[in-house]
Amino acid sequence: MNRVAASGAGLILLAFLLGPILWLVSSSLQLDRELFTVPPHFIPKQPTFDNYRYIITRVPPATYTGDQIGRRASGEALSLIPALRNSFIVSIAVMLINVIFSTLAAYTYARLRFRGRDITYAFILTSRLIPAISVAIPIFVLIDRLGLLDTRSALILVYVAFTLPFTMWFLMKYFGFFPPEIEEAAMIDGSSRLGTLTRIVVPMAAPGLAAAAAFAFMGSYSEFLFGLFLTRTMASKTVPVVLVATAINHDVSFALSFAALVLSIIPPVLFALVFRSYITRGFAGVLAR
Amino acid sequence: MAGIQERGAADLRLGRARARPRRAVALYPYLSILPTLLVVALISVYPLLFALDLSVHRNILTEPLAHPFVGLRNFAETFGSYYFVRALLTTLRFTAMIIAGTLAYGIAVSLFLNRPGRLAGASRIAILIPWAIPTVMAAIIWRWIFNGNYGALNALLVSIGVLPEYISWLGNPLLAQLSLVLTHIWKWGPLAAIMCLATLQVIPRDLYEAAYIDGGGGWAVFRFVTLPFLRPTILLLLILETIAGFVTFDLIYVLTGGGPADATTMLAWFAYAEIFRFLNLGKGAAIAFVIGALTLGLALIYVRLLRTEELYS
Repeated sequence: MNRVAASGAGLILLAFLLGPILWLVSSSLQLDRELFTVPPHFIPKQPTFDNYRYIITRVPPATYTGDQIGRRASGEALSLIPALRNSFIVSIAVMLINVIFSTLAAYTYARLRFRGRDITYAFILTSRLIPAISVAIPIFVLIDRLGLLDTRSALILVYVAFTLPFTMWFLMKYFGFFPPEIEEAAMIDGSSRLGTLTRIVVPMAAPGLAAAAAFAFMGSYSEFLFGLFLTRTMASKTVPVVLVATAINHDVSFALSFAALVLSIIPPVLFALVFRSYITRGFAGVLAR
Repeated sequence: MAGIQERGAADLRLGRARARPRRAVALYPYLSILPTLLVVALISVYPLLFALDLSVHRNILTEPLAHPFVGLRNFAETFGSYYFVRALLTTLRFTAMIIAGTLAYGIAVSLFLNRPGRLAGASRIAILIPWAIPTVMAAIIWRWIFNGNYGALNALLVSIGVLPEYISWLGNPLLAQLSLVLTHIWKWGPLAAIMCLATLQVIPRDLYEAAYIDGGGGWAVFRFVTLPFLRPTILLLLILETIAGFVTFDLIYVLTGGGPADATTMLAWFAYAEIFRFLNLGKGAAIAFVIGALTLGLALIYVRLLRTEELYS
């Protein structure tokens, strides 16, 4: 591949990756009136932050009068802030529980031989292959019987179960790459298994744990199907549920729902960029052997 | 003197280690995996058994008092249904397209990302952004791009002369399917590229040099040096994309709602519609069970392949 061709391919790739996001941001800075013009304005002629202002303050700005948002405003897009709160509480709880559980289990599978090891390992990993839709009704009934419908706890429970197999597998591979000699030395010095894990392995494996935490967070923040099934009100509705409700509703202001969308993709994108080196190193560590 | 003291302390600690109750040591493995095991059993295995039970009974929400045992009738009706067969074929076609598309994208893009230079460096960061954006949110963005009246895609293609006039991307059966594929690749291609890149980065440089010295051209080097290293990653991606194809739901929910007509009705959407539109839990559970069995079966075949692959490489 010569250099000019490579640069051309690179520019096309960048346009494909970022173009949709730039178009979204541009749309969120317009009002519906400007949005519904042919041809569309790729660069807003009258850029405005009114959509964002409306979502954050919930006070309709002066530009939203008459033929504007008045009729087209949407309660759901305005629920974005409480939905973000729900999503954060759920995702952070899942992340913490997931990292603790999966670290404990992964270290055991990486280092110890015991009766029932292979069967329990296969059991946990295979569970990941069960599609969510296949168990949707029973989980709904289960959560109902536990009295947890429309609570964040229900989402936390389900998301922990769905993210655990992958993070456990990932961490098991990761722990497996450390030479066992250091841990053995600690054990001879009288450290228990748990002590060795928390004092020696966890500090060494910090990048892997960060990557696992990122996977658990993003998996929970993105989940849609169970969010749809298990929530009813703003006591537990998460960002994807609220956004989809606005996006497929033709009576909703498009501009308003795009501003809500921009606000809600900022956290995971920041998360990915901050944890970038851990995520790529984590993949490199696990895949490259 | 200090040395002796230290050794004494070490001996003492050694003594303590020996005195540790045996039972605690023997129980540790089980206690450490217990939380994971319990959560997984409660949320995936118990529901699976429950789904099996549902699927062999008649269970329609509009007839709440009658739940007779019907054996495999829900399954028989499912397999015999014209709509199920259509949904299955659509799913297979979609899955084949996303496997081919995502793999081609992943490999080609990773080869570019692996190059030196500022453009490749910027792309290595930019590629993480679609990956970080949740699927439903990516779908909402693309729904706006595909919008027939005000969307960016029509405007772009008409302005550069590819299209004579605006077309309805999500209103045409074939285009709607391709739109789903394109959105899937935008969202999931980056993960494939990141995984391929991680693999490419460990190929020793000498191998490339040796291949060039031996007179290998670009294609030969790719075929005999790069590809063998990528094989395990490609197989892993094959598993991930097959599962992704069979469970695709979010994209359909946002972009097409299974239409136009039933052009994008795939298995997961079909099960959802059976449950929530027709309130037929028994049949919905049967379809969902079939999806689970198909996915699990295919995944196990791939895992077997992957294992033999590891044995021979």
